[in-house]
Amino acid sequence: MKDIYILGIETSCDETSASIVKNGTEEISTVISSQIDVHKNFGGVVPEIASRHHVKNITMVLEECLEKANMTMDQIDAIAITYGPGLIGSLLIGLEAAKTLAFVYNKPLIPVHHIAGHIYANSLVKELQFPLLAVVVSGGHTELIEMKGHYQFQKLGGTLDDAIGECYDKVARVMDLEYPGGPKLDKLAALGHDTYKLPIPLQDDSYNFSFSGLKSAVINLVHNEEQRGETIRKEDLATSFQKVAVSSIISKARKAIVDKGIKNVIVAGGVAANNGLRTAMKELTDELGVELSIPPMKYCTDNGTMIASAGYYAYLDGRRADLNLNSKSQDTLK
Amino acid sequence: MRLLYIDTSSSFLYSAIVENHTLLAEVKEEYGQSLSEVALPRIVSMFEKTNLSAKDIDKIIVVNGPGSFTGIRIGLTIAKVYAWSLNIPITTIYSLEAMAMSSKKEMVHVPMINARRGYVFAGVYDKDYQEIVKPQHITIEALKEKLRDIPEYEVITNDELEEFPERESYNPDMLKIVNYWQDKEPINPHAVNPEYLKLTEAEESKL
Repeated sequence: MKDIYILGIETSCDETSASIVKNGTEEISTVISSQIDVHKNFGGVVPEIASRHHVKNITMVLEECLEKANMTMDQIDAIAITYGPGLIGSLLIGLEAAKTLAFVYNKPLIPVHHIAGHIYANSLVKELQFPLLAVVVSGGHTELIEMKGHYQFQKLGGTLDDAIGECYDKVARVMDLEYPGGPKLDKLAALGHDTYKLPIPLQDDSYNFSFSGLKSAVINLVHNEEQRGETIRKEDLATSFQKVAVSSIISKARKAIVDKGIKNVIVAGGVAANNGLRTAMKELTDELGVELSIPPMKYCTDNGTMIASAGYYAYLDGRRADLNLNSKSQDTLK
Repeated sequence: MRLLYIDTSSSFLYSAIVENHTLLAEVKEEYGQSLSEVALPRIVSMFEKTNLSAKDIDKIIVVNGPGSFTGIRIGLTIAKVYAWSLNIPITTIYSLEAMAMSSKKEMVHVPMINARRGYVFAGVYDKDYQEIVKPQHITIEALKEKLRDIPEYEVITNDELEEFPERESYNPDMLKIVNYWQDKEPINPHAVNPEYLKLTEAEESKL
């Protein structure tokens, strides 16, 4: 069978990225231009600034990606693009770039959902086994997705309010940890003891999550301690918070694995880099005897590689978009 | 020489293909909320109409602002990716220059775009389209001050501004625009960027 080369483009938040992947599993070249230092000064991603950087960087990222691969656009079989969800102004830059290349080179355009990208980051490491449970955890998402085969997605549940990564960043901010605070909170959690009592969110029969109550509980706790003139033991608070946040994910994942006869669990998204979650997920899957895949750190953040990989399976599934494809800030994975 | 012109800086999509001082095809369309859906398809439809392919373009002229931030980025991304991918010369002009150029009157031209909160994006050009006041984000008050010593001028805008009740509306003469700038020095596509003429609110609040 002929080899298929997909160019993947991802601009949904604050990384401008392009990548070429062969047959969905072999990374040929990847370029990521991160804006993390730009947004650090503002304590979070500023959408207008992110859009301005994407438009500035886009052709340089594409050029470097092709140069690294030692390939030309003529050798590319199709162009995969994150159409959503994400920041609309950011998404539009990658979208217009992808559509323009599709027009100029007369190549198929493949629309890829950002979460499908995070899931398929795992297929760059190991072949996926079905039925599969994807635990998607990031700054914008907390979802459990069941897959019975390639590119078949069934959302089992998701967060009813804040995403877990968002909750981490907000709690980190209350604790005066520098943006992005989530990873720093994770590091602190390894040093402390579970001494603060926090509510366990949404203990019900659904596959849904809720993190806003937990976030408020931490904020109130910090304010109350401050008012009483007490100093917060940051390590301990981090440990207590992480334990509750992680156990919420684990209990719903356990239910899904058992209910659906899952063979392979994958953890996807930025929070997949969280050590507390990785450890707990390993214990859970060992106990239940299912395969666990966690992508290497480099695939946990946003990148074009995962979009190109997902794009390959979408390509095989016959998915194509016209040049009137639009970006979507919100969209369900189907 | 065959040129492609793109301007998405306002609520209209303006695009044209010009060959040897002849207009082969043009698009003038008010797009509402969905510029990203229509921009490229409308441009492509000009190619279909003229039986041209992407490779048949010798130069691209794109409006890089000022105007709608998102709008500018859409047209500019199309233009710079197009130019970069096929190694086609590309150059940029201001929306305000295109507005002045489209006027048929022999007098000073004051093109402007409402930037809200008492501000406009504006420039001042003499009857030969030479810049008198460079394009900028300016309060209406300060602009009026700059216009005080100019005996006669026309305001060109598609926006309602009560301080300038007499105005000429803008309807681009794309053939004239392209003819005038067709020999403008090309720039590296990587360096083709929007001219917002204004910091983001987040940056302003840090000042």
